[in-house]
Amino acid sequence: MKLSANREVLLAPLQAVIGVVERRQTMPILANMLVVARQGVLSVTATDLEVELVASTEVNVEEEGEITLPGRKLLDICKALPEGAKINLSVLADKATIRSGKSRFTLSTLPATEFPTIEEMNVQQKLKISQEAIRSLLQKTHFSMAQQDVRYYLNGLLLEVENNILRAVATDGHRLALSEVDFDSKESSEGLQVIVPRKGVLELQRLLGSDADVVLSIGSNHIRVELDSIRFTSKLIDGRFPEYGRVIPQGANQVMIADRGILRAAMQRTAILSNEKYRGIRLELKAGLLTMQAHNPEQEEAEEEVEVQYEGDEIEIGFNVNYILDALGAVEGDEVQVTLGDSNSSCVISETGGARSKYVVMPMRL
Amino acid sequence: MNASRSGVPGRIIFHVDMDAFYASVEQLDSPEWRGLPVLVGGTGPRGVVAAASYEARGFGVRSAMPMSEALRRCPRAICARPRMDRYREVSREVFAIFRSLTPLVQGLSLDEAFLDVSDQVRTRRQARELGKFIKQQIHKATGLTASVGIGPNKLVAKIASDLEKPDGLVLVGKMEVQEVLDPLPVRVINGIGPRTGEVLESRGIHLIRDLRNCPVELLTPVFGRFTRRMLDKASGIDDRPVEPGGKSKSISAEETFDQDLLELPEMLEQLSLISIRTARRLAAKELQATTVSVKIRDREFRTVTRQHSFSPATQSVDILEQTARHLLEQWRVEYPYSAVRLLGVGVSGLEPARQMDLFASEVETSSSQVQELIKQVRQRYGSKALRKGSEPDGKRQA
Repeated sequence: MKLSANREVLLAPLQAVIGVVERRQTMPILANMLVVARQGVLSVTATDLEVELVASTEVNVEEEGEITLPGRKLLDICKALPEGAKINLSVLADKATIRSGKSRFTLSTLPATEFPTIEEMNVQQKLKISQEAIRSLLQKTHFSMAQQDVRYYLNGLLLEVENNILRAVATDGHRLALSEVDFDSKESSEGLQVIVPRKGVLELQRLLGSDADVVLSIGSNHIRVELDSIRFTSKLIDGRFPEYGRVIPQGANQVMIADRGILRAAMQRTAILSNEKYRGIRLELKAGLLTMQAHNPEQEEAEEEVEVQYEGDEIEIGFNVNYILDALGAVEGDEVQVTLGDSNSSCVISETGGARSKYVVMPMRL
Repeated sequence: MNASRSGVPGRIIFHVDMDAFYASVEQLDSPEWRGLPVLVGGTGPRGVVAAASYEARGFGVRSAMPMSEALRRCPRAICARPRMDRYREVSREVFAIFRSLTPLVQGLSLDEAFLDVSDQVRTRRQARELGKFIKQQIHKATGLTASVGIGPNKLVAKIASDLEKPDGLVLVGKMEVQEVLDPLPVRVINGIGPRTGEVLESRGIHLIRDLRNCPVELLTPVFGRFTRRMLDKASGIDDRPVEPGGKSKSISAEETFDQDLLELPEMLEQLSLISIRTARRLAAKELQATTVSVKIRDREFRTVTRQHSFSPATQSVDILEQTARHLLEQWRVEYPYSAVRLLGVGVSGLEPARQMDLFASEVETSSSQVQELIKQVRQRYGSKALRKGSEPDGKRQA
């Protein structure tokens, strides 16, 4: 294999995939990237066996071939070369050589045939959707995913396709985030639910940026997102996501409407003196006025009052302030709507009007 | 009401620790053993030393050591089986003395307690007098000796009581904390066990002084989010109040089976039922746990416990049950042929359940109702009447 390219051209695909290169060297080959040069195109693949990223770019291929190289080192070398440098990569026997100007590096290799790539997907549904739409779905829900929970099916994001709606749901058992977008589809789509693992969600979020469209393919074991020059594939979590619909309160509850910015700022200030471990704050709601209080083991106290639109019964309720702040940060619009039951029932935070994103938060006992 | 007591100036905390408690009680009750090495513990092949008299400690015997090892080091030692009822009786007398002095008594075990005497004494001299008085009272009532540590908080008091054991009395004033703690090995700090100790020592941190002076960045990989807390401890800072009252430290449920269980699937099923019982008790007390333990006793009466901790604390039946099942599965890998006569599931690391769970009610009703139903069907029609669809028939009947 023999190829040459500008430093910047080479860096782009390497940086795009480095996130999934294993740091803990459980399998030596996972610290490597698969490098394939064919028909004027260089493609670089990295995997942690859960998420696979393939990035490609046009380079000058003098001799076709494929090999795996230590990913982190390859990136570090290219990054450390001067801007605009021309880089030559050639492989002879089991050694790879990088040359640029007066620099020369010899890297160890492992055969390309040993690199684990994700087998062909059995695609059940394919949809075209804007990057912005997916990015917003993930951004509005990802923070509610569980982390290393034994309920492994919560350590990921539920993606649901239903009648031209793509919906994302995440929950850690204490709070739940739901967001949905419409997509165009000629054929009527069948309902479909998959769980994308946490790692995949975070990695995908990193890749999405422009407003170009992407192709989203959902298979029985994998999900794939194809961007211009990057292909993202993630395994799915094989498990049953809880029936989220049952924990979203329906029906006539008491509604509070507040200025989102004012509410959020007041809550952030109150949070400073909440218990570092439990993060509890107490909310007292009566006609037109919300009072929030927090105190910590050092007996320090914070109290804030915010004028709100509210005409329901007086309520006292406690929450983990982080959960509420996460939701207030993700909701759009100047106004926010909080629907409450009693002090033992969850609240729903959403924008006012027809909400496409909803946040359900369970209270804390005061 | 305790505002002035949580972390604020002027606290005087006692840590009272009976010297070699079980062994001393044995020597008290059998005068002919006095002055001789006495070991209390199981004498069977798997016995462990529960307590060693100071005469035995001279031979390098420590509690929690296998009895066989202890007897190798000290072959002349007298072995006594533990008599918990008797120890409890003595313990009650000792605690009665504590409670006659202050209501703020936090028992740690039968032979150890923290006392907050901030309201009873004001000066160092008074504190020392009260320490002597407690020791005298204990000796008068029981004939046993205790070591007393006095400090501005629980951390320092506990370390102090260990400094001049047995029959010690050590007072560490606020201004002396640093000076006293600094030269001590890091392992005297509660929370630094042998493993963390080794990690620290491999980084050149041997003494509390080293730990106190260590930059935060070097400690974060070792202690994670507890780094600040550990640095506080190294500086002798501890705001925890003395918490009297009988708070539960663990909650558990267990069951001895009429017939030993032979196959993993039936063990797991039973374990699930027991987990649900434990989880219900936990929920009834409005507590949540950070540790799940599984107790397994086999046909040969070997008892194994396995535990797993997680964060944050939880009340979720689902998490408790799955953790317990996982622990049992791990045990099965090691003991693939054992028949099980008893299973137990316990939870500890308890704290008030403040955060409510979204799925708590759902899981609670669905899984416990189903399990209850399964139990009833099996009681009426036999254990094979109903089985999970996922269980291949052949495997079960084999």
